[in-house]
Parts: sequence; C-alpha cells; structure tokens
Amino acid sequence: MSLGRDGQRSPAPRAAVRRGHARDAARRDRGVLARAAFRLLRLAAVTAVAAALAPVTLAAAGAAAAGWWRGLPPRRLYAAAAWCLPMAAAWLAAVALWPVRASGPPGTGPGPAWFRAAAAPYRAWLAMWRLAGHGHLAAAAVAAAPPAIPLGILAGGLAWAYRLFRMRTGTGGLTPAAPAAFDARLWRRQARSAKALLAAPGALPLLTPNGAVVTGATIRSVRHRAGRRAVIPYARLRSHQVVIGSTGTGKTTLLLRLWAGFMAAGLRRYADGAGPRPLLVVLDCKGGASSRKVADRTRRVLRDAGARSTAIWPDEAALSLWSLPPDRLVTTLLDLIEHGTGGAAYYTDVMEALVTLAVGAPCGPPASSADFLARLDAGWLAAVYGASGDGAAVAAVRSGYRAVEDVKLRFRALWRRLGPALDGGSSFDDADAWYCILEGTAEVAVAEAQARALTDLLAHYAVGGRREILLAVDEFSAVSRRLPIWRLYERARSLGLAVQVSAQSWEGLAGSDDERYRVAATAEGGIWLLRTPRPGPVAELAGMRAYVDTSRRFAGAGAWDDSGSSWSRQAPVLDADIVRRLDVGQAAYVYRGGVTYVQVKRLTGRQAALAPAPARDVAAGRAAGGTPGDTTLPLPSRPARRGYPAAGAARTAGEWPSPAPPDASEVLDEAFGARRD
Amino acid sequence: MTMRDSRRPGLAVRDADALVFAADMYGVQLDQLAALLGGERPARAAAARWRSLGYAQTARLGPGPPWLWVTRAGLAACGLRYAPAAPALSRLAHIRAVTAARIALEATDAYRRASAFWRCERRLRSRHGVGVRQHLPDAEVHWPDGAPVAWAGECWAVEVELTPKTVARTTAIMREILARTGDYGCAAADAAVPGRPPRHARALYLCSPAALTTVLRSRAELGPRAARIEVRDLPPGALP
Repeated sequence: MSLGRDGQRSPAPRAAVRRGHARDAARRDRGVLARAAFRLLRLAAVTAVAAALAPVTLAAAGAAAAGWWRGLPPRRLYAAAAWCLPMAAAWLAAVALWPVRASGPPGTGPGPAWFRAAAAPYRAWLAMWRLAGHGHLAAAAVAAAPPAIPLGILAGGLAWAYRLFRMRTGTGGLTPAAPAAFDARLWRRQARSAKALLAAPGALPLLTPNGAVVTGATIRSVRHRAGRRAVIPYARLRSHQVVIGSTGTGKTTLLLRLWAGFMAAGLRRYADGAGPRPLLVVLDCKGGASSRKVADRTRRVLRDAGARSTAIWPDEAALSLWSLPPDRLVTTLLDLIEHGTGGAAYYTDVMEALVTLAVGAPCGPPASSADFLARLDAGWLAAVYGASGDGAAVAAVRSGYRAVEDVKLRFRALWRRLGPALDGGSSFDDADAWYCILEGTAEVAVAEAQARALTDLLAHYAVGGRREILLAVDEFSAVSRRLPIWRLYERARSLGLAVQVSAQSWEGLAGSDDERYRVAATAEGGIWLLRTPRPGPVAELAGMRAYVDTSRRFAGAGAWDDSGSSWSRQAPVLDADIVRRLDVGQAAYVYRGGVTYVQVKRLTGRQAALAPAPARDVAAGRAAGGTPGDTTLPLPSRPARRGYPAAGAARTAGEWPSPAPPDASEVLDEAFGARRD
Repeated sequence: MTMRDSRRPGLAVRDADALVFAADMYGVQLDQLAALLGGERPARAAAARWRSLGYAQTARLGPGPPWLWVTRAGLAACGLRYAPAAPALSRLAHIRAVTAARIALEATDAYRRASAFWRCERRLRSRHGVGVRQHLPDAEVHWPDGAPVAWAGECWAVEVELTPKTVARTTAIMREILARTGDYGCAAADAAVPGRPPRHARALYLCSPAALTTVLRSRAELGPRAARIEVRDLPPGALP
C-alpha cells in the first residue's frame, strides 16, 4: 500500500487493487468454468463409453445394485465374476474352433485361431449392435453376454468397492452425515440378507463337510474372512469361550447351536477315529422352571445332533460322589461344609481329622452318604482301626470323640439339603451329555456345594482322558463363592477341558473386575457378544484398527465442498453402538482382533417330554420310608472286608437291592452246562 | 376240480407252534425240527403238510439236513409281519446255533415252569427302524413276574458267538447291552438313560470253543458289571 505526500491514500493504488481483485475474480470464474467444462467432457466421455459398451454397463449396474441391495462385500462380486469365466472360456474356445466357412454364432469370423479368439469380443460387440439395429434385442443380448457378463460384474464390484471406500473414509455423500446414514442402511440390508439365508432350506447345515461348525449367516465382518456362512472350526469349541447376552437376546439359541455343533463334530471325529468321544457337561446355575425347559430343549437338539443320551441332573439322573479317590473325596467333603476362621479353625482341623479317618478306614472308602454317616461313630472307628492295629488312629479317634456327633450333625444336614443327586450310581461315562441344574437363585448354599462337588467329579473323570469334554457354565458367578471361576478356568486348562462361560452381562461373568478381565482375556476360542448395555470392556479387549477420518469444508449456502483433509486414526474393531442395537438372534463374535456379526440359525429338536422319575427309584424311596415323591436312589450295600464290621449294615443293608442278579445256575446249567470262567 | 377242492387240506395245522417257531428263527433244519416235534417222522410229515399248504418251503441250502422256512402265506397264517425270505447262506451256521440254544433252554424245567418267552432276533428287528445303528442281541428271554424262579421279572439278552470278534468290539457290545434301558425300537434318547433300571438284568453268552477266550477276556474288562454276564458253551448239536 502506498501513501501520498500528505499522508493520505492515493486513488491510484486503490484502483490497482480493485483491478487486481477483478482479475482474480475473473481468473477464478475462468477456473470454475474450466473445471465445469472438464467435468462435462468427462461425463460425456464416460457416458459415451458406457453407451458403447452397453452390455457391460448394464451388467455392472446390475452387479453394483445387487451389492447395494444385499449389502454384499465386493469380494463376493469378484467371486461371481470369476465363476463366469468358464462360460467366457468355453465361448472363446468355440469361436476359435468354429469351422471357417460355416455360419457361426456372433463373434466368429475368419483368421487363424489365435486371432479369432483375440478378435472375438470385438466381433461380438459389432454383431450385438448389428442385431440391435435390426430390432433383435434378445439376440443382441445373447451375442454380447459371454464377454460382457464377467466384465460387467467385475466392473460393478469395483464400483461398489469404490463406493464403500468413499463412505468408509467419510469422503462420499453430499453431507458429512451421509456416511453414518449409509452405514445404518447398509446394516439393515445386510441383516435382511442374512435372515433370508437363514430361511433358505438347507443353506445352513450344522456342520460343513470338513467338520467345522456353522453358527449362522454372516451379517458383516471386520478383519475376518467375509463368507456367507459364519463358520468356526471345531478346535475353537475345544478352547475357552465367553458368551455374554441379556435375557431374550437369543443367548440360549446360540448356546444350543454351539453345543449341538460340538456334539455333532465330536461324534464325527470319533467315528473317523480322529479323537475320543465328546462329552458335554452343562452347569445351569440359575435353576427353576426355565432351566428345566432349556434342559428339555437341549436334550432334543442334542439327540438330533447324534447324542445317544442326555442326562438331566438331578431330576432324572444321579452321580456318585463316592467314586472319587479317597484323598480327593476327603478334600471335596470338607469343601462342601462351610468353615470358619480364627478360633473356628480348631474345629476345622478336628473335622478334617475325623473325615479322613472315616473315609480312610481299613475296610475301604464309603459307598454312600448313609455309609459315610454311619462311619462317623467313635465306637465304630475305634473298633475298625483297633482291629487293624493302628494305634495312632485309635488315639486320634479317642481325642476327637466329643466332636464326632457335631461333625455327623453337620454332614447329616448337608446331605439332607443336597438330596440323593450325588448318591447315585451313574458316572459321566454313562451319557453323551449331562445337563446339571443348580438352584443358584433359590438355594445358593446348596447350589454352591453342588457346583463344588460336580466340578471335582468332572475333574477326576477328565484325568482319565477318555472323552473330549466341553464344560458349559451359565451364570456361574451365582455359585462361585467357594470356587472362583478363574480357578475353574486354570484347573480346566490343566486337565484339557474346554470351558464355555455364559452370563447375562459383563458383571455376571465373575465376582470382581479383575476376575472378569482374567476370564475374558483367556478366552482363546473367542467371545460371543449379544445385545448388552455394556459392551465396552469387550470392545476394549477386541483391539483397535486403523481408520481414515475425513473433514469436509463447508462451502456456504447449505452445501459442503468436496475438498477437505483426511488423516488416519485408531478406532475400536468392535463397534459398541452396533452391539447395543443388536436384534434378537444377532451376535458379535470377537476373535483375534476381528469381529464377525452373525445372525444365529436356530435349531429345533423334535418334541420330547421330560422323562418321569424312574419307577424303581420311587419304589425304593417309598420302601425306605420316604414319601411317594421322594426319589431316593437305591444305595448299594458294601460287604464287610477282612472281618471288619460293615458300617450301617444292621440298619439298611437288608433293604438295599444287590447289584448282582440272583443265581440262575439252575436253568443255565441244565441247558448249557457249567459256567465258563 | 370239485373233487380236488374237497380234498384240499384246510387250515388245521397240527403243529402250529412249530410253524411259528420256524418263522421266528428265519428257518430250521429238519433235525432240529425233529427235536422240536419229538422225532424225524413227525417232522417230515409236518414239513410235507406245510409244503402242501404253501406255508413252507424246503431245500438243501448247505451241508447237513434240509432247511425249512416259512413263506409269505405261512407268515400271514401265523399273523407275523416279517419280510418273507429264505435263510441267508452266510447266516446258516448262526441260525442253527441260535435255534439249538433256544431248543435247549426251552427244554428245561424252569423255563416251562415259569412260562418264559423267547423273543427272537427277527421279532426285535421287525420293531427296529431302518438305518438305526444299535446292536441287536440274538434273542431276549422274558421271565414273567411272579414266576416260581428266583429271577422272575428279569429280561435276559442272549448272544451266540461262533467266531471271535476283537475284545474291544465284544466289550463295547457287552457294555451297550448292559447299559440299555429302553426297548428295541424306542426313541434313541430313551435307549440308554442313566438312572433308569437296565433293560437286561444279565446277558447270556453262548460261545463256540473258538470264541470263548475272547468273550471271557471281554467280560473281564467290564469290572463290577461282569457279574451280569453269563458265559456258557453252546449246546450239543449247535455247530454244523
């Protein structure tokens, strides 16, 4: 800026500035016009090419529309184009081998074979326009189809991928809000396509030919392979998994699918000789009528998956706690009783000593709760150990004889609460699946003791290594006061068991946040997340991914310019907002830093009512003086060994049926001769 | 024509029980039919009569006496819904052995006194769904409740072993028989339900000398359940 001698602005520079502004405006106008002209030219050129290649354009438009309508990932369109290549190859071969003088299909013509193959698309294109010119539109379409369809689908896939890329990076759409709206619409279309796949008969079998488990239809996947079917390998079901979902979100449907898949795949592997027979053990820690309904549904579904038998504990089948080895049995019995600390530790030690004496008596471990209670008798213990010459044990019995009745009282109360469910004769070996119902809501103390006993029994059974075991625990936190779930996890890991923990919320996974993170972080088989209000911790565990964020410049007058800036930043792999909005039957499967959103396929088993209690057990309970509904299992009598008195024999042995059948030698000897041994 | 019709034998089958027996066992050899009817002459007479009625056919299917089996008309007359077929050549020895076992057991005083019932494999198989993979015993013996025997009310599974299988396979079959809780033909989920009383109180294994060792070793694998396995020799005349 220049000033005059008198210090005032001279008019000349102002005019120069105005002229400069005018030049800039004119230059800007020319630039705008040039850009508009260029765009028009480009649009005209593209339109001309699209019109010239009308068949390809039509196929591309159809492919892109299909991708948009069904929310397909571009890879699926590329695959569709690849599947068309055999058609194109056959057409090229036919054109190359067609006799020269014979009138052939569109695309044929003179020349050597290689030239005819190379020129075939051009000749087909010419033939297409010629036929269209004569009004033969159908023939024109057929003439152009072999080269145009694969090319068109490929072009449509590329266009759809470009559109997705623009929207994902925030550079597409008319407004900055457009990508979010586009994503919401895309989700709805993807979910609709997944539901349509679920409805297609036979589209989603339980197992793939290679033995992987199909859980449902894929809605969307991030960092996972995007297939139509959501498939997880059997090995992942043999690892720890976590399932979180509120009531009514389809958690039971998902669990049934996973259990049935485990059973079917395990049985197939067993039939192929690739592994031991599978065993599914479910600990339903809620209890009540709803658990019975789920148990019935589980039985039906597993039966269709190939399981021979599903035992419902404790309603229909009973396990035997007394099959544990003596040292393990002592520990388990002591854990079933709540102990005090401080001064009460003295009584704990006395109890441990007496239980050890009763279990480790020279005549062998007890065979039933009645047998065990009968042994808690100072006179009997002293007589048994005295007969074996064990002076130290006799002295221990004498020093603790005052506490014997107290200990007996506590165990009698325990067994009254527990009932006969741990006093039966079955083992985990007797069924393909065990559905154990623990009354964790109504009777917490009983359920805690039962959970402790069942896990000990299962751990002892797993040591044999005869079965591939999946332990599924639902709402275990309700009964985990005495057995923290992380300890169950670590114990299962050492025994080769797979543990599947399910809960209605993140808080229901375990008692403390530390335990919850420990459980979720060690779920090598993945985490299933259904609709839940607090997916944050799992989203945090799922990890982050690179994400392009774009700003848009506001150009004024209600429109955003197409210029702006983009930068890369980190965003969670698992979209917590989607998880909060998941519909019934939809789940997010988080595994190795990726997530797949799945529409779970529901399994329906044939109708079958819960079997009534065994008549023999009811009769035995009635004979023992119980009420008609008291289904006490018959307890086998254990004969006295080496001259020791049998505990409780005077009271009950005569009432218990013997497991050995009566002697039938009379008829067998007469018919077939002497018994062969 | 009228004369022939008037001479045509009626439905008065004198040995109806034997005809049902032959139908149940897939077929019998004439010497076994003779043991059943008390002599060779009554057996030949019965066979001739059944043949003339169209109820049975006879043929020499293998070494030894001729075989007799019941035709479709005979099965209909007996009220049995089995698929009519001649005894399979590959099973002739097994059928003979099972038949001999049945004749020997039914000849005992205790069996007759108890009015026990032999439920043959053909009857079990007729209840069994096609394609169901479960092991079928060669027979079941039902002892009625209240019969004057100590084992009244029991159901036995009968297995006739002529050739040795592997110990593992035999043990698995024994386990399956002893663990079974449901009748044959029941829903798969009811076949073996823990906690329910077992269907078979015991399993009776009748063995040839060749199979005896394997069966004994398999029984030893069962542990406490071995008390429910009875192993005996095949009766005389069971082997061809």
